[in-house]
Amino acid sequence: MKCGLNWSNWLSAAALMLCCAFAAVPARAVTIVDIYGPGQNMVNMALATPLTGPDKAATGLGKELGAAVESNLSFLPFMRLTPPSAVLGGSVLNAWQGSGLDFKRFQIAGADLLLTAYWPGGDGRGGAVEIRLFETFSGKPVFSGVYRDVTAANVPATADRICADIMQTLTGSGDFFRSTLAFVKAGGPKKRDVWLISPTGKGMRQITNIAGTALSPSWSPDGRYVVFSHMDDSSHALGVWDRSRNRVQRIRFPGNTVIGPVFMPDNKVAVALSTNGYPNIFLLDHKFQRERVLEQSPGIDVSPSFDSTGTKMAFTSGRMGGPQIFLKDFTTGQVRRVSMNGGYNTEPTLSPDGTLVAFTRLTPQGHRIFVQDMVTGIERQVSFGPGRDEQPSFAPDSYFIAFTSDRSGQHKIYLTTRHGGEPKLVPTGAGAATFPRWGKIPEAK
Amino acid sequence: MKNLKTLGLVMVLALALGLGAGCAKKAEVQTSATEDPAAVALNTAVQTITDGIVYFDYDKYDVKSEYTGMLQQKAELMKAYPDIRVRIAGNCDERGTQEYNLALGERRARAVYDYLVMLGVNPSQLEMVSYGKERPAVSGDTPEAWALNRRDNFDVIAR
Repeated sequence: MKCGLNWSNWLSAAALMLCCAFAAVPARAVTIVDIYGPGQNMVNMALATPLTGPDKAATGLGKELGAAVESNLSFLPFMRLTPPSAVLGGSVLNAWQGSGLDFKRFQIAGADLLLTAYWPGGDGRGGAVEIRLFETFSGKPVFSGVYRDVTAANVPATADRICADIMQTLTGSGDFFRSTLAFVKAGGPKKRDVWLISPTGKGMRQITNIAGTALSPSWSPDGRYVVFSHMDDSSHALGVWDRSRNRVQRIRFPGNTVIGPVFMPDNKVAVALSTNGYPNIFLLDHKFQRERVLEQSPGIDVSPSFDSTGTKMAFTSGRMGGPQIFLKDFTTGQVRRVSMNGGYNTEPTLSPDGTLVAFTRLTPQGHRIFVQDMVTGIERQVSFGPGRDEQPSFAPDSYFIAFTSDRSGQHKIYLTTRHGGEPKLVPTGAGAATFPRWGKIPEAK
Repeated sequence: MKNLKTLGLVMVLALALGLGAGCAKKAEVQTSATEDPAAVALNTAVQTITDGIVYFDYDKYDVKSEYTGMLQQKAELMKAYPDIRVRIAGNCDERGTQEYNLALGERRARAVYDYLVMLGVNPSQLEMVSYGKERPAVSGDTPEAWALNRRDNFDVIAR
């Protein structure tokens, strides 16, 4: 009698079940790359050719997913991908785990980590892929996970999930690959709408289409709403896009000025209104109606930004002459000036962990992005042009910073980090792209 | 009686035009012997209100003394024509950042709004909006272009 599964299949099935039990979990709870430390750590990673069996390279979805993962990982400034040509004997392996793995060839190529991908049932539509990450010098597993029901349509999303899990394992935060940027894209001289895109440039789509100019989008923490300023010939309004209904409404306020709305951690909105005769910062309730004043002065107060606790608010104020960055601590009610250098500092963005504030400074060379430590006051320039660099926005991981630059001749969105480094373009197609703001759409259950 | 009122309005207009001479560019006003003098006067008033632009210094929103005569002229016309409604649009040059410039544009619009109200214009005749740096009058990365973009425009939205 012939058995339906041979030993190899049984072993693979058992391995798969084991992976399922520990799906997408790190093999050990140690942060390998410190992205928050004073320096920028680097790690070298080699990607083994995805396999459907020993020495059998994937040619279908496996190849496609491998390319998507590689593209994703190229966005991580702390990661250097080892080129396959540098690996003696090539990157097609006869195994995907265990003692059968030849780590030496990857060590010699300078790789610290090796990523393997195995498709036990083949890499056709609806297949599952097992992802494993190893240290090349010790051979120790760092991470393993299984990702099911892969189709051509969900390859980009699957690559995001894999990379989020890997980044989570390596750095302690995988939010970069779980995020969706809201941004403003030009559609004509007086027409700008809000669009969404992943930080790696996938899934771009338009969410508003109304006459006038949209500015300053902001995600609600629960991922349901995007609020934004909207300006037409006669008025400002608070624009609200409701993801659950895919509907946009415009809400007007007395004073006819609505600037820089931003969601707070409790899903309420802070926004600059001129209801009292000056642009001051108001709190709106959950129905987007005025609740109370958060900060006011006989001058200009705009651009609030909060840490993840909602107890600290950075904002721009002209109360001392030119615009400067201030911080309000709601636990004490104290307001203090943060930016001490330069005469024109605007657009603050507090890191969610509350340790840093990034902002735009007008320098003799143009606008540049600076980051200031909230404890020591030490500041660091993280963008260097050319052109105008502005509208910084801290990612949920407090590591990445998205910003706008016209260095290419047109405003586009770029990514850098709290440490600076070479900016990476987020591809947004034709037309100017501005106001990148991070958010997370909950995964469908 | 109606003719007397029309004559009065024309005299106010003539006075206002005299006050505003040299303040701003004057658009040519078409006059026709066959047109109603009241309509001509209204057209001239609208043109005068929209033509005069108030300019500001960098990062400032105080109304400079050189514009008080022009604003007084606009105020007189608005008081003479209470059906006229005017939108004051505050604008900035391109050097600043967008959110701060929207606030600065609002301050510029409000500064002129407050001055016109102080001169006796009914607030219901006025509205204001800030365009920040979104709607420059001229393009260019020069001090001259920047100076022309730091301004308040006046649009007559009802008459």
